[in-house]
Formats: sequence, C-alpha cells, structure tokens
Amino acid sequence: MPELIKVRPTKVELVKLKRKLSLAQRVQKIVKDRLSILTMEFLQTARETAEAKRNLIDALTKLYRALSIAAGYHGYIVLEKELIATESDLKVTAGSRNIAGVRVPSFELADTPSKVGMRGYSLVDTSSWLDRAAELSEENLRAIIELAELQQNFELLAMEIKRTKRIANALEYIVIPGLQVTINYLNMKFEERDREEKARLKRVKVLVA
Amino acid sequence: MSKLLQDEVTPMQSGQSPYEKMLQNCLRGELRIVNAGLPQSQKRLSDLLNEKYPYVICNDGSTHLFKKTELEYLAGMIDAEEQKALLLPMLIALGADQAEATISILSGCEGKVEEKIVSKALDMPVTCDEAKIRIYKPQLALLRRKLKTTTVYVFSPKIVT
Repeated sequence: MPELIKVRPTKVELVKLKRKLSLAQRVQKIVKDRLSILTMEFLQTARETAEAKRNLIDALTKLYRALSIAAGYHGYIVLEKELIATESDLKVTAGSRNIAGVRVPSFELADTPSKVGMRGYSLVDTSSWLDRAAELSEENLRAIIELAELQQNFELLAMEIKRTKRIANALEYIVIPGLQVTINYLNMKFEERDREEKARLKRVKVLVA
Repeated sequence: MSKLLQDEVTPMQSGQSPYEKMLQNCLRGELRIVNAGLPQSQKRLSDLLNEKYPYVICNDGSTHLFKKTELEYLAGMIDAEEQKALLLPMLIALGADQAEATISILSGCEGKVEEKIVSKALDMPVTCDEAKIRIYKPQLALLRRKLKTTTVYVFSPKIVT
C-alpha cells in the first residue's frame, strides 16, 4: 500500500504534485528504456565474453603446441637467443566509450608487425615453426586485450543494471503510487469541501428565509 | 470545516522533506547521466579515417573513442563519396513500446548511406522513412555487436513515433 505524502491540502499543492507525477513518469520511461538497453548490452557482453574466453583458451593451446615444436626443432638456447632480439613495447590504444550512460573502457592493439620479416628475429637461422608461433602469439595478444575489455564492460554493466533496477523499482512501487494516492486524496478532500460548502449555503438560505 | 480538515491532514511543512529533495536530485541526476555520453558534434567517416586516434567529445566533456577496425569495416562497405557524407556516431533511439529502435539520420544525404550500412550489417533490406530507419530489437543487438563504437543510444522522455 503506497504511503500518503504529507502535504497541505491546497490547490497549489495539488498542482505541484501533478507536476511531480509528470516528471516521475517521464523519468520512469527513460529509466525503463535504459534498463532494457543495459540488459540487452549485458547479455550481449556476457555471450561475447564467454566466446572470447573460449577463443583465448584455444589460441593458447595452439600457441603452446607451436612453441613446443619450435623449441624442439631449434633447441631452447637458440630460441631464447632469437626471441630476446624480438622484445618490443606493446602499443595499445586505450580510451573509453559510453553505453547508455555507462563509461566503459575501449582497448585496441595497435601496430603489430604482422609481416614475417618485420618481427625482429633472423629468418636465416629460424624455421617456419617459429613464424607460426609468432603469428599465434600476436593472435593471443589480440584475444587477451579483447577479453580484458569485455570483462571490464561486463562488470560495469552489471553494477549499473543493479543501480538502475533499484531506481526503476522505487519509481514504480513507491514514488509514482504515492503521488497518485496523494493526488486522489486531495481531489476527494476538495470534493468533500465543495459538498460541505453547498450544504452550509442551503442551511444559511433556510435560516435567512 | 477548515479546522476539521486541518486536524485530519498532517502538519504543514515548509519546503520539501529531505527524502523528497533526495528523490528530486536523483531524478535530475538520472536525466543528466543518460544523455551525458552523447557527442557534442558528429564527425565524417572520411575525417575519422585520417585521424591517428579517432574520437569525438561527449556532452560531459569525456571522449568517445572509435575503433579503427570498425571504421575500416564501415569504409569497406561504402565508396569515398559516401564516406564524406556519413556522420558518426550514428544515433539510436528506443521506440515507445521498447520493441523497436529508430536510427536517426542527421546527414544531408537523406539517409541513403546509413540505409546501405545498416542493410549490409544486418544482411537484410531496411528503408529510411522521414530521416529514420526502424529496426526491431533482435536486429538492434546484431547491429550493436558489429558497430559497437560507431553507434550511441539517445534517450528521450518524449514518445518516439
């Protein structure tokens, strides 16, 4: 049962309450739209996160297999010597984007040397097994960055859905019913006042006549 | 009679109660944050493709970063002339019944480019009517999956017809 708001029973208060009700209904429409969008995005992100995790595990399995073959072919010492020369800084473009009022991070791997000759190790001393391992490592980096973004989005969206749901419930079950009940109560009061006024006038008329 | 009425109704209050103030602030804050992520201005795809870090400034002063892979995906769908006409990010508003979404067209090409892009992204024909492209919610999810950073949501308290 919604609670009656404590107000003075005047026409001015009634007008104010009607304005508040109109505002609350407009906000409710927005909040509901937003909740619907956030839920859709959350489910989408959840699906994508699960897929990205699966892809990453597959890619890592392939990479370890390729690295093992390369290590077996060249030997650990030669492989380590070649790989020390390829060390370079990872360039990631990081920014943010907005999903229905939620700021979420956005990452993108930039400038990975995808050409075989650009990776830094000697092509003369190495085999195509190492090329394959390097190619899979780059794929892995992309997958890790994608997963990091998705996981963060997932958490932020979940928190925002929780907060928005509370607001939507408060509006639907407390604020709007409370305002409607108070408006009805005030309307009834004014009608009662009118009836009493009419009865009083009739009584005065009888007394005067 | 007025005395009776005053007895029945709880004592008058000067101004709003703390609860009401909090509620009003909460509602106002909600209205403010939902559209804080809208861009102050849209940029042409052709310009964004030439930028090192393609972004637009939002209403709250923050930046909205576009992914280069997504821009290249869009560029692959349309020719150079159309790239100059396409304004990004595209704006998506939810319909009154929440079952359908509307993509608002603000570019000066009567929505032909947007129509082409949405058709190709969804792999189905769509039509632009009165500078708006209407799609259903499952299609919206599909579109958002492909165009994450190049589309943004708009919330309007008015009913979108």
